[in-house]
Amino acid sequence: MAEGLVLQLEGISKQFPGVKALEDANFDLRRGEVHMLVGENGAGKSTLIKILAGAYRHDTGRIVINGRPADIQNPAQSLALGVSVIYQEFNLVPFLSVAQNIFLGREPRHPKIPGLIDHARMKAESQALLESLGVDIDPQTTVHYLGVAQQQMVEVAKALSVNAQIVVMDEPTSALTTREIEQLFAAIRRLTAGGVGVIYISHRLEEVFQIGDRVTVLRDGKWITTLNVRDATMDVIIQAMVGRAINRLFPRDFTAEKGEEALAVRNVHRHGVLQDISMTVRCGEIVGLAGLVGAGRTELARVIFGADSYDAGEVTIFGRTARGSPAACVAIGVGFLPEDRKREGLALILPLRENVVVASLRRLFPSGIIKRAKEYTVVTDFVKSLDIATPSINRMTKFLSGGTQQKVVLAKWLCTQSRFLIFDEPTRGIDVGAKAEIHQLMNELVKQGAAILMISSELPEVLNMSDRIYVMHKGRITKELSREEASQEAILRHAMGVTK
Amino acid sequence: MSETVWREWARRVAMAPGAVYALILLSLVFALFTAQFLTLQNLTNVGMQGSVLVIVSLGMTLIILSEGIDLSIGPVLGLAGVVLALAVKQQVGLPLAILAAIVTGGLFGGLNGFLIARLGLPPFVVTLGTFGMAQGLALVLTEGSSVPGLGPAVQYFNDGRIAGLPVPIVLTAIAFLVVYTILYHTKFGTYVFALGGNQEALTLAGVRTRLYKTVVYVLAGALAGVGALVMTARMNAAHPTVGVGLEFDAIASVILGGTSFERGKGWLVGTIIGALAVSVLRNGLNLIGLSTSWQVSMVGTVIILAIVVDSLRGI
Repeated sequence: MAEGLVLQLEGISKQFPGVKALEDANFDLRRGEVHMLVGENGAGKSTLIKILAGAYRHDTGRIVINGRPADIQNPAQSLALGVSVIYQEFNLVPFLSVAQNIFLGREPRHPKIPGLIDHARMKAESQALLESLGVDIDPQTTVHYLGVAQQQMVEVAKALSVNAQIVVMDEPTSALTTREIEQLFAAIRRLTAGGVGVIYISHRLEEVFQIGDRVTVLRDGKWITTLNVRDATMDVIIQAMVGRAINRLFPRDFTAEKGEEALAVRNVHRHGVLQDISMTVRCGEIVGLAGLVGAGRTELARVIFGADSYDAGEVTIFGRTARGSPAACVAIGVGFLPEDRKREGLALILPLRENVVVASLRRLFPSGIIKRAKEYTVVTDFVKSLDIATPSINRMTKFLSGGTQQKVVLAKWLCTQSRFLIFDEPTRGIDVGAKAEIHQLMNELVKQGAAILMISSELPEVLNMSDRIYVMHKGRITKELSREEASQEAILRHAMGVTK
Repeated sequence: MSETVWREWARRVAMAPGAVYALILLSLVFALFTAQFLTLQNLTNVGMQGSVLVIVSLGMTLIILSEGIDLSIGPVLGLAGVVLALAVKQQVGLPLAILAAIVTGGLFGGLNGFLIARLGLPPFVVTLGTFGMAQGLALVLTEGSSVPGLGPAVQYFNDGRIAGLPVPIVLTAIAFLVVYTILYHTKFGTYVFALGGNQEALTLAGVRTRLYKTVVYVLAGALAGVGALVMTARMNAAHPTVGVGLEFDAIASVILGGTSFERGKGWLVGTIIGALAVSVLRNGLNLIGLSTSWQVSMVGTVIILAIVVDSLRGI
């Protein structure tokens, strides 16, 4: 056993029906280090973690913890071996207290009355744990009433309460603000200072450099490389992740010809949300809508799409006044790709096929009877033209990767023959390679004469994709910038309401 | 009590479920419109008549908290009453007869739990099936008629008094204390909240979720057995169909009490208030002279109203 290694995963393979999720993957963890685990969606990170956590059984390979081979068959055994996993979807019970959540499954017994829980001890120990993490949360608070960051801290405390030697964090910062991330990182440093090894999965590569000691890249279920963060660069990591050199993340090398006016918003008000909004989007251009979270961008998109009403002003789409319902907007040729595509953009338990045609049934099948042959042709055409990675058009949508799901939503709107598309955070949660593909598709669409309104919180995306940019702050458009005028600084300044 | 605990209670009162308002409002209305409502005898009556509902609703609260439902609880109570009466007639002795009733309820709960937790079948469908089974069995055992004349030993559970209080109310209080302790002070209770709130979290914490889920149904069934005792004592007879419709009132009480069908959100005390509101409603409508059919309709209306008000208040 190498000195200081708390965990070794050797030659781990895992086969799912139809997919080889892991193939001879290796990973090790030292005491007191933060080991970053990165890779595109579907690279095998989650599977590896679930094997360690006892949620899956590996087919071949071995797990060594503290130099001893470990046979992990279920979550309880994994916990007993000192492995604690903080999943991306919180594993907290909303209507139990913080203390009850921390001790879930390991409630201390009441010293006097058999069968009862020792609430006092649970509270005291939770208090001590939370204090050791430097957070101020009352252990008797009901978890439901905590903010996301506080819930994250409860998860960390929960992980610690088992005396974990190995703590796994799956994208712990995806819902946190900058300040909260600092707080989490401080907690992580306290963990590692105490000798705990942390496995940290992230999609945000800059975090590798902020908190990581070593970084391991997985791709297509295989181990690619493990580097000391000191010796690594962003480019090297990205290259290892995608398996090819990406010169530019956001390809854009043309300006399409501007056509008819797709959208005109004039002096629109919505009480308490939007004030005096005026904007236009023409065919053949991508218009970026930038701003901080809560600036009113999604609210504006919903008003444009007819999902919410407005109090004053006018919205015209392709020269027609659209007011009332999304159905009316779809009929004029508007498509909306929501940020939360899993919930609002797709019916996850339906096959890809049905998700593509669902908004176009009346157009495709005017008789009211769905003809399978025609459906097959239509859907297959989209699968080809958008390069949708799926084994079959009957694949249940929830089994597709994030990038592929986004393409399915896009196919849905292309199927309705939309010519004006609203993308809300088009590439959030989508891995690097698929991101470039989505951007490529957006470029193709405007080349063919579509109009695109793109809401994005990623400044590089806004800057590289947009022909023009509107910046919002507190429900108002504070600035319109041309492609030439736009810069990170300019956008941020107006997004924060700084006028000078 | 610490400040947080106080705040938690304050929040509960501020967010008080529709039941609280329904109970207050209904009591006021009936007190104004009938002379009898606000008499000690009538209020005792409400408590006595409501006791079966409260006992059954306690179990229903656990089930709904765990993101389940039990439609069979009414007929299971009817069947348990029949078993109790037949056992008394066989002269097996009252303790054994009571045990038989509780075990009958527990067995049906176990069957529900097995099908729901082990085989992963939907609670609605499973308990709809066991509804029919229990109902049919009760009718078969009695050949469709009542089993009357069970004698003073059984009637004690309606007429008797312990420390000056009617036995049904004492039994109800004991049942409440037991279920309260289980729910808030044992592992099992914690896991009931977790089953509804985040079953995945419970599984990953290494807890045997299916076992605990089964126990929830067994407990609710056993409580229906206790309810059957009180019900049978009140009528000094077992009617095979006496429980039908009780599942409706029980689910109504739980909902009125602010327990949600999702995420393990709920409050046991709320269920008591909910059951009291339903009982007051039925009692008051009786005093006014409205038929049972109208009462069912009114209970339904009150539930809808309470939920509408709750949703307008953003709860």
